[in-house]
Amino acid sequence: MTAGDGRSVERQAPERARPEVLDGPFSTTQLLRLDEALRLADRATGLTFSAYVGPLDEPVRAHAEKMLGQLTDPDQSVLVAVSPNQRVLEIVTGAEARRRLPDRACKLAALSMTAAFSGGDLAGGLVSGIAQLADQAGRVAEHS
Amino acid sequence: MGALSLSIAQTVLIFVGIPLAVVLIVVGLVYLGGPRRGKRYRPGRPYEFAPVWFLAGSEQVTPGHTAIARHTPVALPAPETGGDHWPGEVAVQHGETGGASDRW
Repeated sequence: MTAGDGRSVERQAPERARPEVLDGPFSTTQLLRLDEALRLADRATGLTFSAYVGPLDEPVRAHAEKMLGQLTDPDQSVLVAVSPNQRVLEIVTGAEARRRLPDRACKLAALSMTAAFSGGDLAGGLVSGIAQLADQAGRVAEHS
Repeated sequence: MGALSLSIAQTVLIFVGIPLAVVLIVVGLVYLGGPRRGKRYRPGRPYEFAPVWFLAGSEQVTPGHTAIARHTPVALPAPETGGDHWPGEVAVQHGETGGASDRW
C-alpha cells in the first residue's frame, strides 16, 4: 500500500492537503462541482454549508454534532456528514440554520442523497443534496 | 467479375490488420484512463480513502482544526436522563442542533 504511506506523509502537512483530496474517490470534475455547489449554497443562503466524507465514531450523531461545533459559526452552519463504510448519512443544522431548514426538509434531502449513495454516486448525491438544502433554506427565508 | 483483385497478403492486411489495429487502439485508450476508474466508492466494498471535509472557505473552521478531520475517540458525556435511550435520539442539549439521519 504505497498510497497509504503517501497519505500519512501528507497528513503531517495540512497545507499540502490538496493532493490528498485528489487521491480520494472524487475526480477533479466532481471536486469542482462539489466546490461550486457549496459556494453557491453559501452565497444564496448566507449559511455555511460543509460536507464531510469519512468514518464517524459511534455514536455517529454525536460525532457529527461535535464536528459542527468545530466550525467558526456552528449556529449558522449546516454539516452533511457521510460515512461510506458505515453507510450512514447525518445532516446537522445549527440552531439558527435549523429555523430556516426544518428537520423535515433535511430528511427529504437525506432521502435523495442516500438514493444516490446506494447507487455508488457519492459526489452526485452530495451536490444535489446540498443544492436541495440551499433551495429549502432560501425559500423559507423569503417567506419569513 | 474482376472489379478488384487482392493478393492474399493484401486481404490479410485489410481484413485482419485493420480490425486488429482498431482493437489495439481502443484497448490502449481504455488503459490510458484506467487507474482513475478504480478510485471510486462502490456500495458494499470497503471505503479506504482519507477522510475529507469540504468547505466553501477554508477559514471557516476554528483555528486548531484543519479541514481534514482527525479521529481521536471522543469521550462523550453519558445522557443523564434515562441511560437506555438510543444515542441518536437523545434530545439535543447543546446549541439545539437539528437535521436528519439516514442509512443506505
